[in-house]
Amino acid sequence: MGDDGAGIEAVRLLAESTLPENVFVQEAGTPGWGLVEWIKGWPSVVIVDAINMGLKPGEWRRLDTSEVRLIATQGDLSLHDSGLASGLALAQALDLLPDRITFYGIEPESIDHGMVLSPSVNANLPRLVESLRTEFAM
Amino acid sequence: MTKKIDVHHVTRVEGHGNIVVNIDGGVVKDCRFDVIETPRFFEAMLRGRPYLEASHITSRICGICSTGHTTASLRASETALGVELTEQTILLRKLVFHGEILDSHLLHVYMLVAPDFLGVGSVIPLATTHRDVVLRALRMKKLAGDICVVVAGRHTHPIAMTVGGFTHFPTAAELMDLREQLIACRADVDATVDLCSTLPWPKFERDTEYVSLTKPDEYAFIDGEIKTSDGYRMPIENYKDVTNEYLVQHSSAKWTRHKRESLMVGALARFNNNYDQLHPRAKAAAEKLGIKPKVTNPYLNTAAQVVEVVHCVEDAILIIDQLLTKGIKFEKPTPVDLGKIGSNGCDGVGACEVPRGILIHQYWIGQDGILTGANCIIPTNQNIANLEADMKALVPQIMEKPVDAMRLDLEMLVRAYDPCISCSVHVMKVEKKS
Repeated sequence: MGDDGAGIEAVRLLAESTLPENVFVQEAGTPGWGLVEWIKGWPSVVIVDAINMGLKPGEWRRLDTSEVRLIATQGDLSLHDSGLASGLALAQALDLLPDRITFYGIEPESIDHGMVLSPSVNANLPRLVESLRTEFAM
Repeated sequence: MTKKIDVHHVTRVEGHGNIVVNIDGGVVKDCRFDVIETPRFFEAMLRGRPYLEASHITSRICGICSTGHTTASLRASETALGVELTEQTILLRKLVFHGEILDSHLLHVYMLVAPDFLGVGSVIPLATTHRDVVLRALRMKKLAGDICVVVAGRHTHPIAMTVGGFTHFPTAAELMDLREQLIACRADVDATVDLCSTLPWPKFERDTEYVSLTKPDEYAFIDGEIKTSDGYRMPIENYKDVTNEYLVQHSSAKWTRHKRESLMVGALARFNNNYDQLHPRAKAAAEKLGIKPKVTNPYLNTAAQVVEVVHCVEDAILIIDQLLTKGIKFEKPTPVDLGKIGSNGCDGVGACEVPRGILIHQYWIGQDGILTGANCIIPTNQNIANLEADMKALVPQIMEKPVDAMRLDLEMLVRAYDPCISCSVHVMKVEKKS
């Protein structure tokens, strides 16, 4: 789905460098409720994805949970299972949320059928990943 | 008596479907299940793509049955291209398939159905009122996903499965770890059976034609013949004789029928047709749940799923034992010889029993290995006519109830089918009325 693959591509880019031992990178796919099992027990979780933020295509932001409000809805694009917001809401209800959740979001240009990223996302994603590497190194 | 029910859309199912019931003067005027999803165009996407890409493209039809679509896709290509599989490939495919059946059934039983019985609107309040139940569900789902990761490379959309075999193999240590986890999981499986044996399943009976795959030597999930509870048997290549797809005005998903007005596929159909081949622990679970073939209450499809959870856990342990005994070998996928394809191309049918019933892929492949055509028939398609027939039989029996209670009975009926409505939607031909 075009730029919806930004997170997967970010994982691939991250895998090209050595990361600190206490960092675990996972391509999460669409885990739905299963997200709980993936994030529980970690003090800090970073989620990278294409996010509709009303920015220019390819612009990206680092957001922490004080800056964003996740709305659990029947996602227009998530045809199956539950979405990210529902997975996090379930983790919260079970008191299994990590202390810190950070989002790295990149504004998609196109999330239509397609197997590659758009030029704007492709051009800017390496800078987002570089920022992630810096954060992990700290 | 005038009553109107318009559930727009039914929640806790995959995709968008509406329940519409209108009762006027004590007479049922409308009783429909509308499917309003847009078409997905996957068959069109496959045309012009190399056969090696087909399983990766069709895996994206469903985020829950991605292994199922991959398997049906591979079997279609392999049948078309005359590719034989090794015993190890067959065992690994069965194992990863069990992982997906477990994942999907557990999602349905715990996250989608249980809230109705436990009096809450979704699994999130359930996390507060029944924390142990939700944690158990997540624990079991995690193991199901781990099976997919170990065998097929990732939880959803398998990456290691390819035409003729696998591109990655689990280590003996990984399989032993899975085996230990599966043994430990028996306590959670027993607790699941115990919980479900206490649920007050709604009372409703309507006999129909139950359709599933069947095999002589095992409870069929991959390959086999088509069997119906009305005594028909046919090779999977003749699937169109049983599916007979047709269009109705209020559904963007095609309907199917065989000899009766409708047919049912899924866990209940498999249970009814292949009960004898269930693992003894699964049969014991069925007894505890109070079900024995022939079950004609569609609400008990969920109970049949619980029986299959037991079967898949036990069979996964047996498969791992076989793999460990024989030793995991690195095997190159069986090579494909495109030179054998005649000038008219070739075609093949692949079929498997995904969580919701029989899934069929048929591909037409040219001499260059490029797909020239594809047909995918999804289980929910095959069930929608039956679901609506159930609604029409149920409504007169419950029409004295308050509207809210009627609505809940109908929503629970839809959920019992575990429909994957998004997957069921096909392209249809639209013609202007003359």
